[in-house]
Amino acid sequence: MNRIEEIIAIMEDVSRYPAKAIRESMEETGKEVIGCFPLYTPEEIVYAAGMIPVGLWGGQKEIKKADKYLQSFCCSIMKENMEHGMEGSYEFLSAIIIPAYCDTLKCVCENWKAAVPDIPLIAMVYPQNRKITAGVEYLVNEYKRVKDELEKISGKKITEKELEESIDLYEEYRKTMSQFVAIASKYPRTIDAKKRHSIIKAAYFTDKKWYIPLIKELTTELNMLPEEAFNGIKVIATGILAEPEVLLDTLVQNNITFAADDLAHESRQFRTGVSNSGTPLERLALRIAGNQKCALLYDEEKTRGQLLLDLVKEYKADGVVVFMMKFCDPEEFDYPIYKKELEAAKIPMLYLEIEQKMDSVEQIRTRIQSFKEMLTV
Amino acid sequence: MFLGVDIGSTTSKAVILDSKLNILSASVINTGTGTLGPEKTVKAVLSKAGLNEKEIQYSVVTGYGRMTYQKADKQITEISCHARGTFFLKPNARTIIDIGGQDAKVIRLDEDGRVKNFAMNDKCAAGTGRFLEVMARILDCRINRLSVLSQKATEEINISNTCTVFAESEVISQLAAGVKRENVAKGAHKAVAKRVAGLAGRIGVEPDVVMTGGVALNKSVVDALEQEIKEKVTVLKKPQIVGALGAALYAFEMIDM
Ligand code: SF4
Repeated sequence: MNRIEEIIAIMEDVSRYPAKAIRESMEETGKEVIGCFPLYTPEEIVYAAGMIPVGLWGGQKEIKKADKYLQSFCCSIMKENMEHGMEGSYEFLSAIIIPAYCDTLKCVCENWKAAVPDIPLIAMVYPQNRKITAGVEYLVNEYKRVKDELEKISGKKITEKELEESIDLYEEYRKTMSQFVAIASKYPRTIDAKKRHSIIKAAYFTDKKWYIPLIKELTTELNMLPEEAFNGIKVIATGILAEPEVLLDTLVQNNITFAADDLAHESRQFRTGVSNSGTPLERLALRIAGNQKCALLYDEEKTRGQLLLDLVKEYKADGVVVFMMKFCDPEEFDYPIYKKELEAAKIPMLYLEIEQKMDSVEQIRTRIQSFKEMLTV
Repeated sequence: MFLGVDIGSTTSKAVILDSKLNILSASVINTGTGTLGPEKTVKAVLSKAGLNEKEIQYSVVTGYGRMTYQKADKQITEISCHARGTFFLKPNARTIIDIGGQDAKVIRLDEDGRVKNFAMNDKCAAGTGRFLEVMARILDCRINRLSVLSQKATEEINISNTCTVFAESEVISQLAAGVKRENVAKGAHKAVAKRVAGLAGRIGVEPDVVMTGGVALNKSVVDALEQEIKEKVTVLKKPQIVGALGAALYAFEMIDM
């Protein structure tokens, strides 16, 4: 096994067994762990509090208990998170943070208190008009509240310096990841769609101080190899997240790779950095203000279509694959708008409606294979 | 000789072509995916053509059951095969509507017969042959008579539930309320057409519109569909074998290339 394979195997292991990885991080660092619901949860503040933020993005459990709180028309990520919470799989968490973006998340905040009373909840709301001064001020106040709550849990004050250091670390993470995905697109065989997903996902369950050097090393090692020739299909992935894994397996089997992505679970995490001026919390709030083209952040100009078109052009992609999380209203509202723009530009598009746990994937297999045949046969 | 096999959820179809692309034989067996249906249909198509297995130069399998059928040289999706088969029979086709036993698809073609886009229904019986089967059962009518029954309708009723299970109870209460069977039958055909028209709306409809798949044999669905999409719908002569024909055409190309 060479070093590249070794690092990939480590990341795959972390993504496959997140609970194990989290417990190991806890043992090594002696830190407490805070669960972060999607999306843009202020991990920097958690880290500055001396705790490890871990991402809670659902799973593949059979839903039994969560149905008590969430109707069948809620997205599967939230049902999975609720099920995991109620089943006790999050018992090692000292608290969870839920940002309320969509209708489902708003309800989940309330449900959580009743359903999982043992894990304290820190709820927060992102402002709709996040770019105006009032929006930024409001968000700074929300962050302050989150900070206060975290201080109560850890029993110690978070200093400005700790916040600055944490922000620096996260900026380094974002830079490292942006470099990684750019380089990875040149090695579609070594870093196929599934491996790429596992590598990015591993960040959610580990201490960034452990994770960043490994990704840097991986990027450097890749960069020393000659670019890989690829006769398959290169696509841009968009949506909330690209799971379940069997979808990625099917993509790989059909020789389809991700040239780049616009997934909330992946690039949307790291493509926008903080602002350089202001107090630490203002810098974080301005990062959200500057963040564009995401279904979860109000975008009056509807620029996501253009982003996808730019990515297709930049990476010479053959098409766009839409991973539509079933019942995710923010994503569904965006779809008709960018669909029109992609169609007008004659960009082939594959629409996959997904749930995290899918019992029958035959239909989706046929769609993926047909998409490949459409572009190659 | 080239063999195409199309294994659907409820039927298995096969076509044999000679090297001049003449259809030597075709067969449709009312057993879908599994071992029996595909084997029977291949046997039937070979014997009709007076051939044995060894004379087949290349074979392609398609359809829902294509992954589990081991005997073919290659597997290709039903989307590509329906496109190829339809274009071969009707080069003016730009939109294909294929309604099978358990799924529905709409495929858009370009001038060269290549697939431009497609849409499939999700794992749901609404808008498929299965929906009509359920309706036929409640109406106590044989499935192949459902269309005839519907032609006698005096009134158009609406079945508002798309879900087959809910639609079933809706229809039962309509019958209990005295709605005539033929009117319900007409409503059922319209419900399928509406659902499929919705699917077509996702990718747009461009004439000529051609219908394939077993449900194309049902005139009431075709009529209702024409009304819904406001385009003339042409039904190919043997709409069920179009996928298998497409598979056989691919088989021919594999050797010819
Ligand atoms: S934004 Fe979408 S995926 Fe996220 S919780 Fe809301 S509905 Fe679910």
